[in-house]
Amino acid sequence: MSKDDIFKKVAATMVEALNVDEDQVTMTSTLQGDLGAESIDFLDIVFRLEREFGIKIPRNELFPESIFQGDPDFVKDGKVTPKGLSELKEKMPYADFSTFEKNPTIETISDLFTVELIVRYLEGKIAKAA
Amino acid sequence: MSQLKDQIALVTGGSRGIGRAIVLALAQAGAKVAFVYRGSKEASDKLVEEVTAAGGEAVAFQADVSQLDAASKVIEQVLAKWNRLDILVNNAGVIKDGLFLRMEESDWKTVIDTNLGGTFSFCRAAAQQMTLKQRYGRIINISSVAATHVNAGQCNYSASKGAVNSFTRALAVELGSRNVTVNAIAPGFIETDMSEAVRSKAGDFIAKKLIPTRRLGKPEDIASAVVFLASAGASYITGQVITIDGGLSLGAVSG
Repeated sequence: MSKDDIFKKVAATMVEALNVDEDQVTMTSTLQGDLGAESIDFLDIVFRLEREFGIKIPRNELFPESIFQGDPDFVKDGKVTPKGLSELKEKMPYADFSTFEKNPTIETISDLFTVELIVRYLEGKIAKAA
Repeated sequence: MSQLKDQIALVTGGSRGIGRAIVLALAQAGAKVAFVYRGSKEASDKLVEEVTAAGGEAVAFQADVSQLDAASKVIEQVLAKWNRLDILVNNAGVIKDGLFLRMEESDWKTVIDTNLGGTFSFCRAAAQQMTLKQRYGRIINISSVAATHVNAGQCNYSASKGAVNSFTRALAVELGSRNVTVNAIAPGFIETDMSEAVRSKAGDFIAKKLIPTRRLGKPEDIASAVVFLASAGASYITGQVITIDGGLSLGAVSG
């Protein structure tokens, strides 16, 4: 399956799960900021992706929950520390950190959850299965 | 008559008392009804016959709702049979009354595990089907006025029902966006086996002095509200505890 095919299927899933218009969904759309996803929507997305792609997505693999749990080593004064950043990169290997690294605050973590993150995750998952 | 036509309902504690009336009322409203009973095989067979004779469809499952795996087993079977679950009524409940100073740990545990634990595990087992697969569901938890209007000897029961009320509200918040409503009904003094002991001692006094409508409640008084909460007309009601007690909880003394 090509990256474009994966994107099309993911976009259709977003339309269904988040009740958004198809033209709102681009590769760089953030799930929370741009598409209005709430916490239960993340479960809904996982459920629909599993069904759509015929795969199993283990908990925390695509959308890690409570990433830092208030650990002071990872976050200081609202900023993600270098140690926190490497932890984040380990937990979200498919995320694009290029923008985030310029201003790594706790509020902007949610911007790492993009449509592209899902597409890249699925690419890896499908490649492994093949 | 057919406001719930072809909807699939599951009622716990369905063979006797309020649960039995709920099964009959849902079936009469057109739903296909699965119900859970713990011990009353004979009563449950009779109920299935009664529903069938009236042209409805019912099926009974034996299970003890206080066992955590009971819910998933029952709901798996309901889905295997009907492929949907529209209405879940958590009605199974027990009392183990006794003064707190003499209350055994087992009296506490049985009541909490059945009334609260059973409600939790059936909601959990139904939630994925309702929220993610169907995006439709009606959950109705049977609570009690004893959650808020307490009596001596019912620490365990009141605690379990108070928790059911809070659980109902909190779950309603989580499932609302998926078109799943969660409500509770708090019955007052209803003529069932459960209230037999108190009724035989003080039923008349309670009806005459403490209940503005001057009568004890009937299981059907509760069942009709369940049918309403499950119907299309109730789609904007969620997270509520609806008291049905003939006015008992108003706290007025007549005469």
